[in-house]
Amino acid sequence: MRAEPLGLPVPVIADEARRRERNRQLVGLALVAPAAVLVVLFLYFPMAFIVQMSFTVGSSYLSPTGPEYSILNYDAVLSRYLPNVLVTLQLAALSTVVNLLFGFPFAYVLVRRIRYRDVVRAFMVFPMFGALYIAFGMRFVLLPGGPATPLLQALGIPSTAILYSLPSVVFAMSIFTFPFMVMSIGAALSNVDPTLEEAAACLGARPWQTLRRVLLPLTRSGVIAGILIVFGWNIGTFAEPVLLGSLNEQRALAWTLYQRGVVQTDYGLASAMSVVLLIIAVVVSYFSLRYSRGALVD
Amino acid sequence: MSTVAAPIAAARPRRFSRRRLGALAGHVYVWAVLVVFVLPFLTLLGYSLTGPGGTYAVQNFQYVLGSFGDNLRQSFLVAGMTLVINLLVALPGAYAIVRYPFPGKRALFSLLSLPLYVPGAVIGISLVLVYNFTYHLTTSIFGLVFAMAVGTFPLMLSPIVVALKDLPLSFEEAAACLGASRWQTFWRVVFPLIGPGVSAGLMLTFIIVFNEYLVTLFVHPPDVTTAPLRVFNLVRTAGLAPTTAALAVTMQLISFGAILVFFKVFGTRYLKGTYLI
Repeated sequence: MRAEPLGLPVPVIADEARRRERNRQLVGLALVAPAAVLVVLFLYFPMAFIVQMSFTVGSSYLSPTGPEYSILNYDAVLSRYLPNVLVTLQLAALSTVVNLLFGFPFAYVLVRRIRYRDVVRAFMVFPMFGALYIAFGMRFVLLPGGPATPLLQALGIPSTAILYSLPSVVFAMSIFTFPFMVMSIGAALSNVDPTLEEAAACLGARPWQTLRRVLLPLTRSGVIAGILIVFGWNIGTFAEPVLLGSLNEQRALAWTLYQRGVVQTDYGLASAMSVVLLIIAVVVSYFSLRYSRGALVD
Repeated sequence: MSTVAAPIAAARPRRFSRRRLGALAGHVYVWAVLVVFVLPFLTLLGYSLTGPGGTYAVQNFQYVLGSFGDNLRQSFLVAGMTLVINLLVALPGAYAIVRYPFPGKRALFSLLSLPLYVPGAVIGISLVLVYNFTYHLTTSIFGLVFAMAVGTFPLMLSPIVVALKDLPLSFEEAAACLGASRWQTFWRVVFPLIGPGVSAGLMLTFIIVFNEYLVTLFVHPPDVTTAPLRVFNLVRTAGLAPTTAALAVTMQLISFGAILVFFKVFGTRYLKGTYLI
């Protein structure tokens, strides 16, 4: 019975195989369909919608005479709201630098020296609960009368000068994204053979030279991926500038677009701002994925 | 023999102590950073336990269950509904991505993972506009739930993909040889074996949705205020109160408990490629 197909001419078997292959492809596509529908309905269509909306003036989308199209919104983003864009970039860049400076040594010690890694991981999940609690906690710490008051008084700094300031916003943002940096650099470091460092030391390299000539070149992709991930996350910072920033930091784009779009119903301008944010975030994450080589699918 | 041993013995203590000093500095550094990490939580915990006039009080937590009870309940409801949707969407999706051949798989996986990289404010504003003008979902809790689902289902997808890739094909082949249908093979063989991956996805989704305030601020229906959104509104407008701190502490303790239970039961391996590792 089983041998029968072999008696058939080859093209028949090939056809049968092709048909099966196509069936499997169709089943596969059917299984991914729910996910694709969810993403299209609630991510890609809304994105296309705000791109269209970003070319309409104010809330003219709702006007009975039909939407009024122009590029005025982008003009406003690049002129009147240019400081907002710059503040957003500045905050993201500063917190990325802070994360890199503190994250590299942290990742190194974690990968090379520490055996109780799970304990460290358990602690590191706290920032994952959200920037809101971090900002809330820091606001309480820094408020006049809070736990940090005696320390600040001893240093002679008025606590409101610290509370509503750039450093406190950057600090909160850095705590929020620190695990991403450590995760990215740590993954790259654990792929570097520790004997290479020993070899460098044996050949007379100082620790600094080992870092510059051996470790950094070998972990370059992880470091770059970490920088990009952290930057991409921090570009959309929201709670930290609102709760900890002065008027300058509160110009961060995400908060501004909430104010303009939801509170003042200037849909066109808010859409243009979010398109700018979206482009920055997507470009940055595209490169971060290319560098992290973390593709699950091949 | 002894002439050779003596200098080594003399040299060892010095090098040893220097190394230990370096290692100690490393440990101290890591713990210092971890303390800074937990500091916002610890100070809020301390604050939530202070009563009027600096006394020690637990009443704040009774207040959480009383006045904030509705917010907590809504948070659990939204998180639960999102978990169901994510599971229904991610389970077949991950299975197809790992086990079935179809063109453009890589690109599709990237397109499905994109929500993780879009800033919350952008998701929020685009959904609130679409809900207002096209979908008419602004007054339904489903609008909020779908917003949460689209932002978090990649977190469900990745651990399941990892777990499925770790599972040799031979289990499914053996089940098929023994006469199990595809459906039976999946539910009786594959699903139990990828249980840890599925649990990892469930836990991540729960934690992110349970603590989400940003997209919620944009798309929440008028009668729904989840607990984190309540915290945000209170901190922003009403100043600080120990009761607000108690609510924030409660949320974080619940989330932390979920993670600890997961670590204890499954270890950390299934969280690879997601937030935590």
